[in-house]
Amino acid sequence: MTKRRLFLELENCIGCRSCLAACTQCGGHEQRNRNYVYDVNPLVNRQTMPLMCLHCVDPACARSCPAQAIQIHETGAVLSALTEKCIGCQNCTIACPYGIPKFDEEQNLMYKCDLCIDRTKDDIPPMCASVCPSNTLQWLTEEEIEEKQQRHDLGNDKWVTSMPYLEGETNVKINLPGILEGTTKLF
Amino acid sequence: MENTSVKEPMVHTGSTNPVNSAFASHFAKSMFLTVSGLVILSFVATRMFTHVDLNLYGYMVGTVVFLAGFFYRFISWGERPPTKILIKKGLKLLFRRSTLKTSVEHLATYRFIWNRGVYRWTQHLLIGWGCVLAILVTFPLVFGWMYFTMEESGYYTIVALGMNVMTVPADGIIAFLSYNALNISAIMVIAGVCMALYRRLKNMQARAEQTFMYDFMPLYLLLFVSITGLLLTFINVFLHGNGHYVMSLIHQYSVIVTLIYLPFGKLAHIPFRPVSVFARNYREHYGKESMKECKVCGTEFVSTEQSNDVINVLGQNDLEFDMKDGFNLAELCLPCRRKYRISKFSGFATHEVPIKEANQDAKG
Repeated sequence: MTKRRLFLELENCIGCRSCLAACTQCGGHEQRNRNYVYDVNPLVNRQTMPLMCLHCVDPACARSCPAQAIQIHETGAVLSALTEKCIGCQNCTIACPYGIPKFDEEQNLMYKCDLCIDRTKDDIPPMCASVCPSNTLQWLTEEEIEEKQQRHDLGNDKWVTSMPYLEGETNVKINLPGILEGTTKLF
Repeated sequence: MENTSVKEPMVHTGSTNPVNSAFASHFAKSMFLTVSGLVILSFVATRMFTHVDLNLYGYMVGTVVFLAGFFYRFISWGERPPTKILIKKGLKLLFRRSTLKTSVEHLATYRFIWNRGVYRWTQHLLIGWGCVLAILVTFPLVFGWMYFTMEESGYYTIVALGMNVMTVPADGIIAFLSYNALNISAIMVIAGVCMALYRRLKNMQARAEQTFMYDFMPLYLLLFVSITGLLLTFINVFLHGNGHYVMSLIHQYSVIVTLIYLPFGKLAHIPFRPVSVFARNYREHYGKESMKECKVCGTEFVSTEQSNDVINVLGQNDLEFDMKDGFNLAELCLPCRRKYRISKFSGFATHEVPIKEANQDAKG
Protein backbone atom coordinates (compact mmCIF):
# COMPACT_ATOMS: atom_id res chain seq x y z
CA MET A 1 0.00 0.00 0.00
CA THR A 2 1.27 3.45 -0.82
CA LYS A 3 2.03 5.47 2.24
CA ARG A 4 0.75 8.98 1.91
CA ARG A 5 1.25 12.03 4.03
CA LEU A 6 -0.72 15.10 4.90
CA PHE A 7 0.73 18.02 2.99
CA LEU A 8 -0.10 21.66 3.68
CA GLU A 9 0.10 24.38 1.05
CA LEU A 10 -0.55 27.17 3.46
CA GLU A 11 -1.21 30.10 1.16
CA ASN A 12 -4.10 28.31 -0.58
CA CYS A 13 -6.25 28.67 2.52
CA ILE A 14 -9.42 30.71 2.02
CA GLY A 15 -10.54 30.54 5.64
CA CYS A 16 -13.73 28.57 5.02
CA ARG A 17 -13.10 26.39 8.09
CA SER A 18 -14.41 23.30 6.34
CA CYS A 19 -11.51 21.42 7.92
CA LEU A 20 -12.72 22.36 11.40
CA ALA A 21 -16.26 21.22 10.65
CA ALA A 22 -15.05 18.00 9.03
CA CYS A 23 -12.80 17.29 12.00
CA THR A 24 -15.81 17.23 14.34
CA GLN A 25 -17.36 14.47 12.23
CA CYS A 26 -14.48 12.00 12.42
CA GLY A 27 -14.96 8.78 14.33
CA GLY A 28 -13.49 9.23 17.79
CA HIS A 29 -13.54 13.02 17.72
CA GLU A 30 -16.71 13.37 19.81
CA GLN A 31 -17.98 16.30 17.76
CA ARG A 32 -15.02 18.46 18.72
CA ASN A 33 -12.51 19.79 16.26
CA ARG A 34 -8.82 19.49 16.95
CA ASN A 35 -7.41 21.83 14.32
CA TYR A 36 -7.13 25.59 13.91
CA VAL A 37 -7.43 28.28 11.24
CA TYR A 38 -5.73 31.61 11.85
CA ASP A 39 -5.93 35.04 10.32
CA VAL A 40 -2.37 35.94 9.47
CA ASN A 41 -2.84 39.68 9.80
CA PRO A 42 -6.40 40.06 11.02
CA LEU A 43 -6.62 43.87 10.99
CA VAL A 44 -5.24 44.25 7.49
CA ASN A 45 -6.21 41.42 5.16
CA ARG A 46 -8.13 38.16 4.89
CA GLN A 47 -5.24 35.74 4.45
CA THR A 48 -5.72 32.70 6.65
CA MET A 49 -3.62 29.64 7.37
CA PRO A 50 -4.59 26.34 8.92
CA LEU A 51 -2.64 24.85 11.80
CA MET A 52 -2.94 21.27 12.93
CA CYS A 53 -0.86 18.67 14.66
CA LEU A 54 2.22 18.12 12.52
CA HIS A 55 2.82 14.63 13.95
CA CYS A 56 6.43 15.05 15.03
CA VAL A 57 8.76 12.12 14.55
CA ASP A 58 9.97 12.74 18.12
CA PRO A 59 6.84 14.20 19.70
CA ALA A 60 7.35 16.48 22.70
CA CYS A 61 3.82 15.79 23.93
CA ALA A 62 4.45 12.04 24.24
CA ARG A 63 7.90 12.64 25.73
CA SER A 64 6.43 14.82 28.46
CA CYS A 65 3.48 12.54 29.26
CA PRO A 66 3.93 10.88 32.67
CA ALA A 67 1.26 8.28 31.93
CA GLN A 68 2.37 7.10 28.48
CA ALA A 69 -1.11 8.04 27.34
CA ILE A 70 0.05 9.44 23.98
CA GLN A 71 0.90 6.58 21.68
CA ILE A 72 2.51 6.71 18.26
CA HIS A 73 0.81 4.68 15.57
CA GLU A 74 2.87 2.56 13.19
CA THR A 75 1.97 5.02 10.41
CA GLY A 76 3.75 7.74 12.40
CA ALA A 77 0.56 9.46 13.58
CA VAL A 78 0.78 10.76 17.15
CA LEU A 79 -2.49 9.65 18.66
CA SER A 80 -4.85 11.42 21.01
CA ALA A 81 -4.51 10.48 24.70
CA LEU A 82 -5.80 7.07 25.65
CA THR A 83 -8.87 7.83 27.74
CA GLU A 84 -8.07 5.36 30.49
CA LYS A 85 -4.45 6.47 30.83
CA CYS A 86 -4.63 10.27 30.61
CA ILE A 87 -4.27 11.60 34.16
CA GLY A 88 -5.03 15.21 33.28
CA CYS A 89 -1.67 16.80 34.14
CA GLN A 90 -1.61 18.85 30.92
CA ASN A 91 2.13 18.46 30.46
CA CYS A 92 1.49 17.79 26.76
CA THR A 93 -0.19 21.14 26.24
CA ILE A 94 2.83 22.90 27.72
CA ALA A 95 5.35 20.75 25.85
CA CYS A 96 3.90 20.94 22.33
CA PRO A 97 5.94 23.52 20.39
CA TYR A 98 2.89 24.34 18.27
CA GLY A 99 0.26 24.53 21.04
CA ILE A 100 -1.95 21.85 19.53
CA PRO A 101 -3.33 19.60 22.30
CA LYS A 102 -6.66 20.66 23.79
CA PHE A 103 -7.78 19.86 27.29
CA ASP A 104 -11.25 19.14 28.63
CA GLU A 105 -11.40 20.13 32.31
CA GLU A 106 -14.74 18.43 32.89
CA GLN A 107 -13.65 15.08 31.49
CA ASN A 108 -10.10 15.48 32.82
CA LEU A 109 -8.88 14.43 29.41
CA MET A 110 -6.55 15.73 26.73
CA TYR A 111 -7.57 15.41 23.08
CA LYS A 112 -5.68 16.20 19.92
CA CYS A 113 -5.50 15.47 16.20
CA ASP A 114 -4.97 11.76 15.60
CA LEU A 115 -4.76 12.24 11.83
CA CYS A 116 -8.14 10.42 11.67
CA ILE A 117 -6.30 7.22 12.32
CA ASP A 118 -9.29 5.02 11.51
CA ARG A 119 -9.11 6.45 7.97
CA THR A 120 -5.42 7.10 7.41
CA LYS A 121 -4.34 3.66 8.60
CA ASP A 122 -6.11 2.41 5.45
CA ASP A 123 -4.64 5.24 3.37
CA ILE A 124 -7.94 7.14 3.24
CA PRO A 125 -7.29 10.87 3.58
CA PRO A 126 -8.07 12.48 6.94
CA MET A 127 -11.36 14.37 7.20
CA CYS A 128 -9.75 17.80 6.88
CA ALA A 129 -7.92 16.91 3.66
CA SER A 130 -11.04 15.18 2.28
CA VAL A 131 -13.11 18.34 2.44
CA CYS A 132 -10.58 21.11 1.82
CA PRO A 133 -11.96 22.98 -1.22
CA SER A 134 -8.81 24.95 -1.97
CA ASN A 135 -6.15 22.24 -1.94
CA THR A 136 -4.58 23.64 1.20
CA LEU A 137 -4.70 20.25 2.85
CA GLN A 138 -3.63 17.43 0.58
CA TRP A 139 -3.04 13.74 0.99
CA LEU A 140 0.00 12.93 -1.14
CA THR A 141 2.53 10.20 -1.82
CA GLU A 142 6.22 10.81 -1.28
CA GLU A 143 6.69 11.13 -5.07
CA GLU A 144 4.01 13.78 -5.37
CA ILE A 145 5.59 15.78 -2.57
CA GLU A 146 8.98 15.37 -4.29
CA GLU A 147 7.46 16.62 -7.56
CA LYS A 148 6.02 19.68 -5.85
CA GLN A 149 9.39 20.38 -4.35
CA GLN A 150 11.04 20.28 -7.77
CA ARG A 151 8.40 22.58 -9.27
CA HIS A 152 9.11 25.15 -6.61
CA ASP A 153 12.82 24.53 -6.31
CA LEU A 154 14.38 27.89 -6.90
CA GLY A 155 17.86 26.85 -5.92
CA ASN A 156 17.93 29.56 -3.30
CA ASP A 157 17.10 27.38 -0.27
CA LYS A 158 13.68 28.99 -0.10
CA TRP A 159 11.80 25.70 -0.47
CA VAL A 160 11.16 23.98 2.78
CA THR A 161 8.92 21.11 3.57
CA SER A 162 9.30 20.96 7.30
CA MET A 163 12.79 21.93 8.30
CA PRO A 164 14.25 24.32 9.33
CA TYR A 165 11.15 26.40 10.03
CA LEU A 166 9.71 23.79 12.33
CA GLU A 167 11.16 22.59 15.60
CA GLY A 168 11.91 19.07 14.43
CA GLU A 169 11.19 16.51 11.76
CA THR A 170 7.47 15.99 11.23
CA ASN A 171 5.32 13.47 9.42
CA VAL A 172 3.06 16.18 8.08
CA LYS A 173 4.87 18.18 5.42
CA ILE A 174 4.43 21.89 4.94
CA ASN A 175 5.50 24.20 2.18
CA LEU A 176 6.06 27.86 2.76
CA PRO A 177 3.83 30.21 0.83
CA GLY A 178 4.73 30.61 -2.82
CA ILE A 179 4.31 34.34 -2.36
CA LEU A 180 7.31 34.33 -0.07
CA GLU A 181 9.23 32.18 -2.51
CA GLY A 182 8.58 34.63 -5.30
CA THR A 183 6.77 32.10 -7.49
CA THR A 184 3.38 32.25 -9.14
CA LYS A 185 1.02 29.61 -7.83
CA LEU A 186 0.45 26.65 -10.13
CA PHE A 187 -2.57 24.73 -8.91
CA MET B 1 29.19 1.95 47.26
CA GLU B 2 27.90 5.50 47.02
CA ASN B 3 29.66 6.06 43.72
CA THR B 4 28.30 2.96 42.06
CA SER B 5 24.83 3.66 43.33
CA VAL B 6 24.75 7.00 41.55
CA LYS B 7 25.53 5.37 38.22
CA GLU B 8 23.13 2.50 38.74
CA PRO B 9 19.78 3.94 37.64
CA MET B 10 17.66 1.34 39.41
CA VAL B 11 19.07 2.20 42.84
CA HIS B 12 17.70 5.38 44.30
CA THR B 13 19.88 8.12 45.66
CA GLY B 14 19.16 7.44 49.29
CA SER B 15 21.37 4.37 49.07
CA THR B 16 23.59 5.26 52.01
CA ASN B 17 20.63 3.69 53.76
CA PRO B 18 21.76 0.11 54.56
CA VAL B 19 18.35 -1.31 53.60
CA ASN B 20 18.72 0.01 50.05
CA SER B 21 22.27 -1.18 49.58
CA ALA B 22 21.21 -4.69 50.57
CA PHE B 23 19.39 -5.10 47.26
CA ALA B 24 20.71 -5.35 43.73
CA SER B 25 17.85 -3.32 42.31
CA HIS B 26 14.72 -1.39 43.10
CA PHE B 27 12.79 -4.33 41.67
CA ALA B 28 14.44 -6.86 43.99
CA LYS B 29 13.78 -4.66 46.99
CA SER B 30 10.12 -4.08 46.16
CA MET B 31 9.57 -7.77 45.47
CA PHE B 32 11.31 -8.88 48.66
CA LEU B 33 9.51 -6.42 50.90
CA THR B 34 6.09 -7.13 49.41
CA VAL B 35 6.37 -10.91 49.47
CA SER B 36 7.77 -10.77 53.02
CA GLY B 37 4.89 -8.52 54.01
CA LEU B 38 2.39 -10.99 52.55
CA VAL B 39 4.00 -13.92 54.37
CA ILE B 40 4.15 -12.10 57.71
CA LEU B 41 0.55 -10.92 57.41
CA SER B 42 -0.54 -14.45 56.55
CA PHE B 43 1.47 -15.89 59.42
CA VAL B 44 -0.27 -13.58 61.88
CA ALA B 45 -3.70 -13.80 60.28
CA THR B 46 -3.80 -17.60 59.94
CA ARG B 47 -2.64 -18.08 63.52
CA MET B 48 0.76 -19.42 62.53
CA PHE B 49 -0.44 -21.08 59.32
CA THR B 50 -3.06 -23.23 61.04
CA HIS B 51 -5.95 -21.87 58.97
CA VAL B 52 -4.59 -21.83 55.41
CA ASP B 53 -7.13 -22.68 52.72
CA LEU B 54 -4.88 -24.76 50.49
CA ASN B 55 -7.65 -25.06 47.95
CA LEU B 56 -6.64 -21.53 46.98
CA TYR B 57 -2.88 -21.97 46.74
CA GLY B 58 -2.95 -21.45 42.96
CA TYR B 59 -4.05 -17.89 43.60
CA MET B 60 -1.06 -17.36 45.91
CA VAL B 61 1.36 -18.41 43.19
CA GLY B 62 -0.59 -16.28 40.70
CA THR B 63 -0.35 -13.27 43.00
CA VAL B 64 3.42 -13.55 43.30
CA VAL B 65 3.78 -13.78 39.50
CA PHE B 66 1.45 -10.81 39.20
CA LEU B 67 3.60 -8.83 41.65
CA ALA B 68 6.71 -9.54 39.59
CA GLY B 69 5.00 -8.24 36.44
CA PHE B 70 3.54 -5.31 38.31
CA PHE B 71 6.83 -4.13 39.78
CA TYR B 72 8.66 -4.65 36.50
CA ARG B 73 6.10 -2.51 34.68
CA PHE B 74 5.64 0.06 37.41
CA ILE B 75 9.35 0.64 38.06
CA SER B 76 10.29 0.97 34.40
CA TRP B 77 7.35 3.35 34.00
CA GLY B 78 8.45 5.34 37.06
CA GLU B 79 11.93 5.77 35.57
CA ARG B 80 10.61 7.94 32.73
CA PRO B 81 11.61 11.55 33.44
CA PRO B 82 8.09 13.08 33.53
CA THR B 83 6.70 10.21 35.61
CA LYS B 84 9.57 10.42 38.07
CA ILE B 85 8.98 14.13 38.66
CA LEU B 86 5.25 13.69 39.07
CA ILE B 87 5.54 10.79 41.50
CA LYS B 88 8.21 12.56 43.56
CA LYS B 89 6.29 15.83 43.84
CA GLY B 90 2.96 14.04 44.13
CA LEU B 91 4.13 12.10 47.18
CA LYS B 92 5.36 15.32 48.75
CA LEU B 93 1.96 16.96 48.21
CA LEU B 94 -0.07 13.93 49.27
CA PHE B 95 -1.28 15.44 52.52
CA ARG B 96 -3.19 18.38 51.10
CA ARG B 97 -6.65 19.08 52.35
CA SER B 98 -8.18 18.43 48.92
CA THR B 99 -6.54 15.02 48.48
CA LEU B 100 -9.45 13.13 49.99
CA LYS B 101 -12.07 14.85 47.84
CA THR B 102 -9.99 14.46 44.68
CA SER B 103 -9.32 10.79 45.43
CA VAL B 104 -13.00 10.06 45.95
CA GLU B 105 -13.93 11.85 42.74
CA HIS B 106 -11.18 10.25 40.67
CA LEU B 107 -11.01 6.76 42.13
CA ALA B 108 -14.39 6.01 43.69
CA THR B 109 -17.18 7.97 42.05
CA TYR B 110 -15.48 8.51 38.67
CA ARG B 111 -16.95 11.98 38.26
CA PHE B 112 -14.86 12.65 35.14
CA ILE B 113 -16.35 9.59 33.47
CA TRP B 114 -19.83 10.84 34.34
CA ASN B 115 -18.92 13.91 32.33
CA ARG B 116 -18.01 11.68 29.39
CA GLY B 117 -21.44 10.06 29.46
CA VAL B 118 -23.84 8.41 31.90
CA TYR B 119 -23.78 5.11 30.03
CA ARG B 120 -19.99 4.90 30.19
CA TRP B 121 -20.07 5.90 33.83
CA THR B 122 -22.57 3.15 34.68
CA GLN B 123 -20.58 0.45 32.93
CA HIS B 124 -17.35 1.63 34.51
CA LEU B 125 -18.91 1.80 37.97
CA LEU B 126 -20.24 -1.76 37.63
CA ILE B 127 -16.98 -3.19 36.32
CA GLY B 128 -14.75 -1.13 38.60
CA TRP B 129 -16.57 -1.69 41.86
CA GLY B 130 -17.38 -5.28 40.93
CA CYS B 131 -13.65 -5.94 40.54
CA VAL B 132 -12.73 -4.03 43.72
CA LEU B 133 -15.31 -5.94 45.72
CA ALA B 134 -14.10 -9.25 44.30
CA ILE B 135 -10.47 -8.35 45.09
CA LEU B 136 -11.37 -7.29 48.63
CA VAL B 137 -13.00 -10.67 49.22
CA THR B 138 -10.69 -12.97 47.27
CA PHE B 139 -7.26 -11.94 48.47
CA PRO B 140 -8.04 -11.90 52.19
CA LEU B 141 -9.41 -15.42 51.72
CA VAL B 142 -6.39 -16.55 49.68
CA PHE B 143 -3.85 -15.32 52.22
CA GLY B 144 -5.98 -16.25 55.23
CA TRP B 145 -6.45 -12.63 56.33
CA MET B 146 -10.11 -13.48 56.71
CA TYR B 147 -11.82 -16.78 57.39
CA PHE B 148 -14.86 -18.22 59.09
CA THR B 149 -15.07 -20.67 61.97
CA MET B 150 -18.12 -22.26 63.53
CA GLU B 151 -17.62 -22.79 67.22
CA GLU B 152 -21.28 -22.94 68.06
CA SER B 153 -23.67 -24.65 65.69
CA GLY B 154 -25.58 -22.16 63.58
CA TYR B 155 -23.21 -19.26 64.23
CA TYR B 156 -20.21 -18.24 62.16
CA THR B 157 -17.34 -16.35 63.67
CA ILE B 158 -15.65 -14.00 61.20
CA VAL B 159 -11.91 -13.96 61.86
CA ALA B 160 -9.94 -11.04 60.38
CA LEU B 161 -6.15 -10.89 60.79
CA GLY B 162 -6.35 -13.60 63.42
CA MET B 163 -8.85 -11.75 65.56
CA ASN B 164 -12.45 -12.78 66.14
CA VAL B 165 -14.32 -9.81 64.76
CA MET B 166 -17.91 -10.87 65.13
CA THR B 167 -20.20 -13.85 65.46
CA VAL B 168 -23.15 -13.86 63.14
CA PRO B 169 -26.10 -16.25 62.69
CA ALA B 170 -25.43 -18.55 59.73
CA ASP B 171 -28.75 -17.63 58.14
CA GLY B 172 -28.48 -13.89 58.86
CA ILE B 173 -28.04 -11.02 56.46
CA ILE B 174 -24.30 -10.46 57.10
CA ALA B 175 -23.60 -14.13 56.57
CA PHE B 176 -25.73 -14.09 53.42
CA LEU B 177 -23.80 -11.12 52.02
CA SER B 178 -20.49 -12.81 52.90
CA TYR B 179 -21.38 -16.04 51.10
CA ASN B 180 -22.66 -14.15 48.10
CA ALA B 181 -20.19 -11.27 47.87
CA LEU B 182 -18.41 -12.89 44.94
CA ASN B 183 -21.71 -13.73 43.25
CA ILE B 184 -22.81 -10.13 43.59
CA SER B 185 -19.52 -8.82 42.24
CA ALA B 186 -19.68 -11.33 39.36
CA ILE B 187 -23.15 -10.10 38.42
CA MET B 188 -21.94 -6.49 38.58
CA VAL B 189 -18.96 -7.25 36.36
CA ILE B 190 -21.04 -9.28 33.88
CA ALA B 191 -23.60 -6.48 33.61
CA GLY B 192 -20.85 -3.87 33.18
CA VAL B 193 -18.91 -5.89 30.64
CA CYS B 194 -22.08 -6.56 28.63
CA MET B 195 -22.78 -2.83 28.57
CA ALA B 196 -19.20 -2.18 27.48
CA LEU B 197 -19.37 -4.83 24.76
CA TYR B 198 -22.69 -3.45 23.53
CA ARG B 199 -21.17 0.03 23.34
CA ARG B 200 -18.16 -1.28 21.45
CA LEU B 201 -20.42 -3.03 18.96
CA LYS B 202 -22.84 -0.15 18.41
CA ASN B 203 -20.95 3.10 19.01
CA MET B 204 -19.39 4.30 15.75
CA GLN B 205 -16.78 6.25 17.63
CA ALA B 206 -15.63 3.23 19.61
CA ARG B 207 -15.72 1.10 16.48
CA ALA B 208 -13.38 3.49 14.72
CA GLU B 209 -10.62 3.15 17.25
CA GLN B 210 -10.89 -0.20 19.03
CA THR B 211 -8.65 -3.20 18.51
CA PHE B 212 -9.31 -6.75 19.60
CA MET B 213 -6.22 -7.24 21.72
CA TYR B 214 -6.31 -3.93 23.52
CA ASP B 215 -10.02 -3.23 23.96
CA PHE B 216 -11.90 -6.51 23.70
CA MET B 217 -9.58 -9.04 25.30
CA PRO B 218 -9.64 -7.49 28.80
CA LEU B 219 -13.45 -7.46 28.63
CA TYR B 220 -13.55 -11.10 27.55
CA LEU B 221 -11.11 -12.01 30.33
CA LEU B 222 -13.29 -10.32 32.95
CA LEU B 223 -16.37 -11.96 31.48
CA PHE B 224 -14.70 -15.37 31.54
CA VAL B 225 -13.60 -14.94 35.16
CA SER B 226 -17.07 -13.82 36.24
CA ILE B 227 -18.98 -16.51 34.37
CA THR B 228 -16.77 -19.37 35.55
CA GLY B 229 -17.06 -17.98 39.08
CA LEU B 230 -20.84 -17.85 38.89
CA LEU B 231 -20.87 -21.34 37.38
CA LEU B 232 -19.19 -22.61 40.56
CA THR B 233 -22.18 -21.38 42.56
CA PHE B 234 -24.56 -22.78 39.93
CA ILE B 235 -22.86 -26.19 40.09
CA ASN B 236 -23.06 -26.29 43.86
CA VAL B 237 -26.68 -25.18 44.08
CA PHE B 238 -28.25 -26.95 41.12
CA LEU B 239 -25.95 -29.82 40.10
CA HIS B 240 -25.08 -31.15 43.56
CA GLY B 241 -21.46 -30.17 42.98
CA ASN B 242 -21.02 -32.23 39.80
CA GLY B 243 -18.01 -30.86 37.93
CA HIS B 244 -17.04 -28.52 40.76
CA TYR B 245 -13.35 -29.48 40.73
CA VAL B 246 -12.91 -29.01 36.99
CA MET B 247 -14.74 -25.70 37.10
CA SER B 248 -12.79 -24.44 40.10
CA LEU B 249 -9.55 -25.15 38.22
CA ILE B 250 -10.83 -23.39 35.10
CA HIS B 251 -11.86 -20.42 37.23
CA GLN B 252 -8.51 -20.41 39.01
CA TYR B 253 -6.60 -20.40 35.72
CA SER B 254 -8.79 -17.63 34.31
CA VAL B 255 -8.12 -15.44 37.36
CA ILE B 256 -4.38 -16.10 37.28
CA VAL B 257 -4.12 -15.31 33.56
CA THR B 258 -6.07 -12.08 34.09
CA LEU B 259 -3.82 -11.15 37.02
CA ILE B 260 -0.66 -11.75 35.05
CA TYR B 261 -2.01 -9.72 32.13
CA LEU B 262 -3.22 -6.89 34.36
CA PRO B 263 -0.07 -4.70 34.56
CA PHE B 264 0.52 -4.74 30.80
CA GLY B 265 -2.66 -3.99 28.89
CA LYS B 266 -5.67 -1.79 29.30
CA LEU B 267 -6.24 -3.01 32.85
CA ALA B 268 -2.92 -1.42 33.85
CA HIS B 269 -4.86 1.78 34.47
CA ILE B 270 -6.18 0.22 37.69
CA PRO B 271 -2.85 0.36 39.59
CA PHE B 272 -1.63 3.48 37.72
CA ARG B 273 -4.71 5.63 37.97
CA PRO B 274 -4.05 7.03 41.48
CA VAL B 275 -1.36 9.18 39.87
CA SER B 276 -4.18 11.36 38.55
CA VAL B 277 -4.67 12.51 42.15
CA PHE B 278 -0.97 13.44 42.21
CA ALA B 279 -1.43 15.37 38.99
CA ARG B 280 -4.39 17.33 40.35
CA ASN B 281 -2.55 18.16 43.60
CA TYR B 282 0.53 19.16 41.62
CA ARG B 283 -1.44 21.55 39.45
CA GLU B 284 -3.44 23.02 42.34
CA HIS B 285 -0.51 23.46 44.72
CA TYR B 286 1.98 24.99 42.31
CA GLY B 287 -0.78 26.96 40.61
CA LYS B 288 -1.43 28.76 43.90
CA GLU B 289 2.26 29.22 44.52
CA SER B 290 3.02 31.15 41.36
CA MET B 291 1.65 31.28 37.85
CA LYS B 292 3.60 31.69 34.67
CA GLU B 293 2.72 34.66 32.51
CA CYS B 294 2.73 34.25 28.75
CA LYS B 295 5.79 36.03 27.34
CA VAL B 296 3.67 37.59 24.61
CA CYS B 297 0.22 38.42 25.97
CA GLY B 298 0.80 38.17 29.73
CA THR B 299 -2.01 35.70 30.42
CA GLU B 300 -1.34 33.37 33.33
CA PHE B 301 -1.69 29.94 31.79
CA VAL B 302 0.26 27.39 33.89
CA SER B 303 2.19 27.17 37.14
CA THR B 304 5.81 28.26 36.98
CA GLU B 305 6.83 24.92 38.47
CA GLN B 306 5.11 22.90 35.76
CA SER B 307 6.48 25.09 33.00
CA ASN B 308 10.02 24.57 34.34
CA ASP B 309 9.45 20.85 34.84
CA VAL B 310 8.26 20.38 31.26
CA ILE B 311 11.21 22.34 29.85
CA ASN B 312 13.51 20.23 32.01
CA VAL B 313 11.93 16.94 30.91
CA LEU B 314 12.11 17.93 27.26
CA GLY B 315 15.76 18.88 27.78
CA GLN B 316 16.43 15.36 29.03
CA ASN B 317 14.96 14.12 25.77
CA ASP B 318 17.12 16.47 23.68
CA LEU B 319 14.18 18.66 22.79
CA GLU B 320 15.02 22.35 23.12
CA PHE B 321 12.51 24.96 22.08
CA ASP B 322 14.45 28.12 22.89
CA MET B 323 13.58 30.72 20.27
CA LYS B 324 15.77 33.48 18.92
CA ASP B 325 13.08 35.91 20.08
CA GLY B 326 14.30 35.27 23.62
CA PHE B 327 11.76 32.82 24.99
CA ASN B 328 11.16 29.12 25.25
CA LEU B 329 8.04 27.94 23.45
CA ALA B 330 6.75 26.48 26.73
CA GLU B 331 6.61 30.05 28.04
CA LEU B 332 3.91 31.11 25.58
CA CYS B 333 0.24 30.50 26.25
CA LEU B 334 -1.36 28.12 23.78
CA PRO B 335 -3.07 30.65 21.48
CA CYS B 336 0.12 32.73 21.36
CA ARG B 337 2.19 29.64 20.62
CA ARG B 338 -0.08 28.78 17.70
CA LYS B 339 0.00 32.35 16.38
CA TYR B 340 3.77 32.38 16.77
CA ARG B 341 3.92 29.33 14.49
CA ILE B 342 1.74 31.12 11.93
CA SER B 343 4.21 34.00 12.13
CA LYS B 344 7.04 31.59 11.36
CA PHE B 345 5.14 30.41 8.29
CA SER B 346 4.13 33.82 6.96
CA GLY B 347 6.89 36.10 8.12
CA PHE B 348 4.32 38.42 9.71
CA ALA B 349 4.25 38.62 13.52
CA THR B 350 0.68 37.39 14.00
CA HIS B 351 1.24 36.77 17.70
CA GLU B 352 1.92 40.45 18.30
CA VAL B 353 -1.46 41.57 16.97
CA PRO B 354 -3.53 41.95 20.14
CA ILE B 355 -6.63 40.20 18.83
CA LYS B 356 -8.14 37.09 20.36
CA GLU B 357 -8.25 34.01 18.18
CA ALA B 358 -11.70 33.67 16.66
CA ASN B 359 -13.83 30.97 15.05
CA GLN B 360 -11.75 28.05 16.27
CA ASP B 361 -14.58 25.82 17.44
CA ALA B 362 -16.79 24.27 14.85
CA LYS B 363 -20.11 23.03 16.19
CA GLY B 364 -20.40 19.43 15.10
